[in-house]
Amino acid sequence: MTLKDVLDRDLIKIPLESTTKHDVLEELIDVLVQHKQVNNREELLSAIIARETLGSTGLVDGIAIPHAKTKAINSIKLVLGITKQPIDFDAQDGKGSQFFFLVLAPEKEASAYVEVLASIARATHSAAMRRLLAAARNADDVFDLFFD
Amino acid sequence: MKEPFKNILVYLDGSEESIVASMAAITLALRLDAHLTAMYVVNTKALQELVKARIFLEFEEQEYRRDIEGDARRYLDHVEKMAIQKGVSCTLEKRSGTVQTEVRQYVQDHDVDILVLGGLSQIHSRRDELMNEADRIMRSATCPVLVVRDNDDIWDTFESLPNVPVGGESDDT
Repeated sequence: MTLKDVLDRDLIKIPLESTTKHDVLEELIDVLVQHKQVNNREELLSAIIARETLGSTGLVDGIAIPHAKTKAINSIKLVLGITKQPIDFDAQDGKGSQFFFLVLAPEKEASAYVEVLASIARATHSAAMRRLLAAARNADDVFDLFFD
Repeated sequence: MKEPFKNILVYLDGSEESIVASMAAITLALRLDAHLTAMYVVNTKALQELVKARIFLEFEEQEYRRDIEGDARRYLDHVEKMAIQKGVSCTLEKRSGTVQTEVRQYVQDHDVDILVLGGLSQIHSRRDELMNEADRIMRSATCPVLVVRDNDDIWDTFESLPNVPVGGESDDT
């Protein structure tokens, strides 16, 4: 399983409106709630925040991959959000984060979860891909980037 | 290509598609009087990538490795049970590493005649980094590959095969 197996056009939000780390996490979870993918918002938010307290999932080059496994869902969920401007997400390189891949996984899909996360890391490793993501104006643009 | 196929390998990844592929492989082994090996590869390459990128903390890597090891054992045991039920001899193989490399190596080292796969992605992308493991295995395999689509025919065929009681003859008399 890879990113493209779980990427859903409805679960891509551009631009994210939040300007703080906590608000971005809430906004990403809310995308799931709005599209009736989940109904236990607080439980999911707690799982994501609990993971963040152990170490930020803000990586380098504007990429952040907040993630957690939880009993509160039955299948792997990916929400992709992009902010207009980089925001402080406690990233490893000290720079702002702009591209957010929220991944939630049920407890019994460890292998698929690992492969989805690894595929996101591989896909976003390319500077060209990050430039194209930054230029995306809407969900369709992002979707086409991965599926063209 | 060697015929008839006497040495069949089915790759398992825990997906439902790979379980269906196992059912097809058991059916094939029974029809051809072939030996079946079921293989699961713990994808330590992906785990290492996640630690290297600092997406996973050390404890997460260890936790997920344990989870995946447990999955591997559970799925292999499940396939073995299905094979025994149908009177097919089955060897279980659990490995760790880069999935496509481990499968390719096993095929070469054990003279596998045909590799059975499920779970090829239905979604196409020109991006190599988005290929799933089954796609990679198929592209790098050095033997014929049977790609099994998840459909009711396979379930029906498998279930129509007579069950063999443990230590006895077929109960379909």
